[in-house]
Amino acid sequence: MISRRHFLKNLSGAALAASAATPILGWAADSPLVIPGKEDLIVRSYRFLDLETPVESFHTWLTPAEHFFVRNHMHEPSTLDAKDWKVNITGEVERPYALSLAELGKFPTHSVVNTLECAGNGRAFQNPKVPGVQWQRGAVGTGRFSGPRLRDILDRAGLKGTGKHVMFRGLDEVPGKVPPFIRSIPIEKALDADTLVATHLNGAPLPKHNGFPARALTPGWIGAASCKWLAEIKVLNKEFEGNFMNPAYRMPNQPIKPGEAAKPEDTHPVTALDIKSLISSPAGGSTARSLAIQVQGVAWAGENNVERVDVSTDGGNSWHAAELGRDQARYAWRLFSYRWKAPTSGDYTIACRATDNKGRTQPANPVWNPSGYLNNAIDQVKIHVQA
Amino acid sequence: MCRHRIAIGIAIGYCLVAALWAQSVPAPELPEGTTKAKATTACTECHDSRIILQQRLSKAAWTKEVDKMTKWGALVDAQDRDALIDYLSSNFGVDKPEYVPDRTRSAESKHKK
Repeated sequence: MISRRHFLKNLSGAALAASAATPILGWAADSPLVIPGKEDLIVRSYRFLDLETPVESFHTWLTPAEHFFVRNHMHEPSTLDAKDWKVNITGEVERPYALSLAELGKFPTHSVVNTLECAGNGRAFQNPKVPGVQWQRGAVGTGRFSGPRLRDILDRAGLKGTGKHVMFRGLDEVPGKVPPFIRSIPIEKALDADTLVATHLNGAPLPKHNGFPARALTPGWIGAASCKWLAEIKVLNKEFEGNFMNPAYRMPNQPIKPGEAAKPEDTHPVTALDIKSLISSPAGGSTARSLAIQVQGVAWAGENNVERVDVSTDGGNSWHAAELGRDQARYAWRLFSYRWKAPTSGDYTIACRATDNKGRTQPANPVWNPSGYLNNAIDQVKIHVQA
Repeated sequence: MCRHRIAIGIAIGYCLVAALWAQSVPAPELPEGTTKAKATTACTECHDSRIILQQRLSKAAWTKEVDKMTKWGALVDAQDRDALIDYLSSNFGVDKPEYVPDRTRSAESKHKK
């Protein structure tokens, strides 16, 4: 249990940092940025396109495509004609072959509602700061992904016994001498019945920025395991060796002190998402005009199940069980809500803490690592009640 | 042959339009300073300035970033390396205020504006 003093001492969390922000660029307030199909998203970067969803959008179980976050390490494909597109199945298989979009559509379709989160979501709250896109809270979203099972595609190629990992190469355009964005997943995860080559999001073809015409969908895992604009699916006899498997996307095996580096041999790849929750309402920095306040949010647990969400309205001194939403699926977040009556007008800090079926819960502070991955610290917002 | 030329023409046209569209999206300028021009050339050839503006890093961390980006193709002359690190760490150091990004707008709201 987190003590109140400890909790208050560490009020450097997500929302507090966000609400304390002071614009340093007048330009930012008057943006003409229009990105077709992507509305009201926070522009972390335009080139490469990195868009974050404002947390107040997280009031529905499924995140609409126009509000779904976008993460790119490179330039998106500049030319991609769905009619000419093919994905090649190669490597440790008996019969390498290629599939067009129409041929992909002939496989049995499977749907998975999955919470997709960038490994670096929450990086901005690491202390000391670490380099990279400074995602705050919204590099996450939940969608219904549909398409053929990866294992059906691999079965047709005739998987060899030597196949131990499956590599995804997308059509990302690589600038300069930057290493290509290629990653692999272990064969066990690749053959899971819920691992897809997804062609649809929420019943419509994938949006361009989310990987049209086809992307990997590795459910419950970090977004980087679900490569976009697939061009090649290659079965390997070992983990892919490349920058985005090592040194990128790795976590220290043991906790390290903030600011310290980890020895490369003392790290492991980031795979499944951790237990985490976010408050979508009330918004940090907002003023409530009534003492009756509905606290709402989302909670997810990667490959595990969210067991409960607790809400604190007194700086972590006491916690109260929130009600979980009815919509649920194995890899999807749960909505939660908690009705609270503020005792009087004043300033309050509201926090949420999720626990999963394996007993994992959220730490008070981000677990520091050199790349700022998997920040699942307790989320909190400061509000003012003026009733 | 004629069709081939038309196809090439369309492809070139598409690329030009895409390039012009990308250029038409404003990106904030890097801060003034003697190294501004070199930083702009070295960094924004591959990515826009927002990636830099949002960082809050120590000089040691900026040094690592500059060396990594140089390895990855950023054009930084050896004699400019230290000045670039100084420029980035003095403008985007750990004590600087947070960068506040803008948001995408729907085409409709742009027209209304």
